[in-house]
Amino acid sequence: MAISKRYLASLLVGTLAATPVWAADPIKIGVSQPLTGAVAASGNYVTNGARIAAAEINEKGGLLGREVELIIEDNKSNPREAVNAAEKLILSDKVPVIMGAWSSTYTLATMPKLEEYGVPMVVETSSSSKITKAGNPWIFRIAPTSAMEAQAFAKKLDNFDPPIKKVDFLSVNNDWGLGASQEFEKMFKANGIEIGRKETVSPDTVDLSAQLSALKGTGSDTLIMTSGVEQLTLGIRQAADQRLSQRIVTTGGSFPEPLLESPGPKGYTSSHLLFFSPWTPESSVYPDIAGAFVDAWAEAGYSFPGLSEGFRGYDGIMTIAAAIENAGSTEPDAIREALWDVQVKGVNGDISFFKDGPEGKESGQNEPNVYVVQLKDGEVSAQ
Amino acid sequence: MDQILQHVINAMVLGSTYALLGIGLTIIFGIMRVVNFAHGELYTLGAYTAYGMVTLINLDFFSSILVAALIGMLIGALIEYVFLRRKDLKNIDEVMLIMIGIMIIMQNLELMIWGGVAKIIPTPFSQDPISMGAIAISPTRVFVFCISAVLLVIFYLGIERTRFGLAIRATFQDQDAARIVGVNVKRIYTVTFALGSAMAAVAGALLAPMFVATPLMGDLASLKAFAIVILGGLGSLGGAALGGFLLAFIEEFGASYISSAYRDAFGFLVIIVVMLFRPQGLFAAKERVG
Amino acid sequence: MNWKLFAIFVAILGLFPFLWSDPYVLSVMGSAGIMIIAAISLNLLLGYTGQLSLGHAAFFGIGAYTSALMSLGFDIDIGFGMSWQVDAKPVWMAFATAILVTAFFGWLVGKLAFKVRGAYFVVITISFAQVMRMISLNWTDLTEGPMGMISIPPLNLWVPGEGLINLTSKAAIYWLVLAVGVIAYLLVAMLVNSRQGRAMIALRENETLATSVGIPVTYFLSMAAIISAAIAGAAGGLYAHTVRIIDPDVFLFIYTVTMVIMVVAGGKGTLGGPIIGGLIFGLMPELLRGVVQPEVQWVIYGITMIIILLFLPRGLVPAIYDFIAWLRSPVAISQRKTGHSLAKEAN
Repeated sequence: MAISKRYLASLLVGTLAATPVWAADPIKIGVSQPLTGAVAASGNYVTNGARIAAAEINEKGGLLGREVELIIEDNKSNPREAVNAAEKLILSDKVPVIMGAWSSTYTLATMPKLEEYGVPMVVETSSSSKITKAGNPWIFRIAPTSAMEAQAFAKKLDNFDPPIKKVDFLSVNNDWGLGASQEFEKMFKANGIEIGRKETVSPDTVDLSAQLSALKGTGSDTLIMTSGVEQLTLGIRQAADQRLSQRIVTTGGSFPEPLLESPGPKGYTSSHLLFFSPWTPESSVYPDIAGAFVDAWAEAGYSFPGLSEGFRGYDGIMTIAAAIENAGSTEPDAIREALWDVQVKGVNGDISFFKDGPEGKESGQNEPNVYVVQLKDGEVSAQ
Repeated sequence: MDQILQHVINAMVLGSTYALLGIGLTIIFGIMRVVNFAHGELYTLGAYTAYGMVTLINLDFFSSILVAALIGMLIGALIEYVFLRRKDLKNIDEVMLIMIGIMIIMQNLELMIWGGVAKIIPTPFSQDPISMGAIAISPTRVFVFCISAVLLVIFYLGIERTRFGLAIRATFQDQDAARIVGVNVKRIYTVTFALGSAMAAVAGALLAPMFVATPLMGDLASLKAFAIVILGGLGSLGGAALGGFLLAFIEEFGASYISSAYRDAFGFLVIIVVMLFRPQGLFAAKERVG
Repeated sequence: MNWKLFAIFVAILGLFPFLWSDPYVLSVMGSAGIMIIAAISLNLLLGYTGQLSLGHAAFFGIGAYTSALMSLGFDIDIGFGMSWQVDAKPVWMAFATAILVTAFFGWLVGKLAFKVRGAYFVVITISFAQVMRMISLNWTDLTEGPMGMISIPPLNLWVPGEGLINLTSKAAIYWLVLAVGVIAYLLVAMLVNSRQGRAMIALRENETLATSVGIPVTYFLSMAAIISAAIAGAAGGLYAHTVRIIDPDVFLFIYTVTMVIMVVAGGKGTLGGPIIGGLIFGLMPELLRGVVQPEVQWVIYGITMIIILLFLPRGLVPAIYDFIAWLRSPVAISQRKTGHSLAKEAN
């Protein structure tokens, strides 16, 4: 869109002006993200984060003395297109490594191709456990699984007052939403919290009043919502409309930005599990890295709330860059070997991979940090 | 019991906008026999116009709805004049395919201009819901219902009491006869398409603040509009209005008591069931109007 | 139909992978080929029998899902504590089953076309596709819902000397699609040029008249619907076993629209129409990839379709034939020979 084109133009000028002419061919890194379609907002944020990372690397002299070039393909929020995008990147652009593909469904679709052609992929967002349990040694995930998210949240239960005693669930009815409600249910039960009612909603539904009516008067004090930005916003507003008594906690890392400009009723609060909170960068593990990222983002003119997902692109590219640097090569196999040994300081925190999945064919999985923030009257604060 | 009452209130609000959407398509489909796939796109256009007016030039919400209606009318007239005039409307398939082409163009233009991210339309109403016992309703929804009801009444009076309305009803009943008595059928076509499109646009401008505006919202709206037309029966404007409320009730109660996941499917199921067992619709015979 | 031209065309297509072996190019041709097969099937129903069926993605999707389910096996709970379990079947058997199941749905739609006419039929067929989408989206027990069905096995072929090989290479997929495409084309061509075919065209042109001369309209319509659905089901099955992942989005209206654009722009009711239309609209997205945004592409397709509908309503193929005929016509030839138009002379 217009802003990013402007940014790219200034990036080009800046690169030409500030850095020396590159000696050899650029190093290509493939990016597969939903730039159009149902989840386009998130896909664009992640891609912008990736662009910032690439610009930063190039400003510091590039990778192995060569320029980093992102080849960005739109997977159109669709698994078939995700396969097409991966094939174009691998067969036509000949990238040695990819970052993608946002949704678990698109990532799962892409995985057989990675194995077929022998190209590693860093997974920056998808949370389904299937991804690392499938026995695909070309997958390295920096995003948390829903199980990890639930465990991290368990440590924050005490931050809630009045304490959480009984929870309801409202989840989008795909891999992600259903997996999340399962994992959170397990965690709550293990912590002696009662489970109330569970409702599901289709990804493109805009009217959640039926589900919310059903959730009224269940006696629970908390409602756990898992979905994307749009549905979280609609759900919170409609819940406020119907005067639902439960406090709302959203999971999955998405933040209902529209509520910043058009807040709910006065005094209404909701809590959100994020993997990066741009409102409280000081709570990050590496505040200077987080701060620098926030500044670069603002300079590029991207919208502030997008930071809560944009960082994934940044951390993903930085991870890939570290692997290439350590491998000293741009061969896919060498990059894959090197990914096992990376230790990166990212916006979310430390990034490194442990083995996950069936013996002999493990994928790499990271253990990220989780942050909880509170939204009230259009203002965000740490919970 | 309270739950049921809450559902009834929700359904009434939704139904009033569905009625506008449905009547808009009924007059287009009824008079011109055009399978108007672009109807949903006019709905989307209305929503985005309201959004644009409010956020870009800070126009107040009420005037934005008016502007949405005017734009809907203009675009509707434009479509009819540029694309449909040339075609003998008897070629249903070709006309239908043209409307699909227009739908594609409008949808993607909207995607290009506004982007794929859903937009919220700010309203001047407070977000605090009004409570009446255990039932709650937001001020926005009350407003939407009132405006829809007023528009429905105005439309009814316009159709029943004015000469122009008479001309429309006459063309609805029998085109050739209308032509014989001196009705300018060509002009009626343009007016019909413009009016129907304006109603779709207003429905969009009214519904969007309750939910969100996305470029793809028109797909579902078109199909629901058809469900309403079919429910109400082709020749009946009053039937279409009732059909709008009926669809809203089916959706609301079906989603709450049968399955919330299939909420949007009820419209389609309704179409299939009605077509199989009572193709003339639920209300009135073919010839009655209004 | 011109057999010689057809044979040459097929030969060129068959040799294509030897001339241009880039796997990416071959995969694009393969995808376009699958859409062309679907367009051929839609042409039979929309072009030849004149039925406004706009739910064709439903047949494609049913074929894809049936073939995937049969080849993967499934186990669902059908209530009352009972479950229906089917083991994974050999791939070709799954493929055949898919064609049969889709043909059955085609028969249903054919029956419906008589109860419900014109615009209402259109709306019902669209609704049918939407309901199928909702079912595949929500019956997660059977279809995995939005998560899609993955790891679908590929089709295989017994090759002398090599045994059973999986058709996974781009070239193999290309030839597979070409083979099915040729079969589909020939099937439609023979049907259309036969007595049955002429009956169908009579049905399209004037149903009442056709009935009045004793043509069993119902029978022919059913046949067209069944065959059309079967071919679309085959396309869906091919898709399932070559892309090897499917999700409920296969039922989206946009895919039906794509097929419709191919048929209408190419020329409905002509044999070559869906092929030309399919090549253009199947390859354009790849050619324009990275050049213009997808939204802009779709605006271009929409404008193209409207222009063709307004000015060349019978499609590109008939327009080309007309043009060639005009070039050959005596008037045009003599105009060129004498160097000025006869009309001028007449004045």
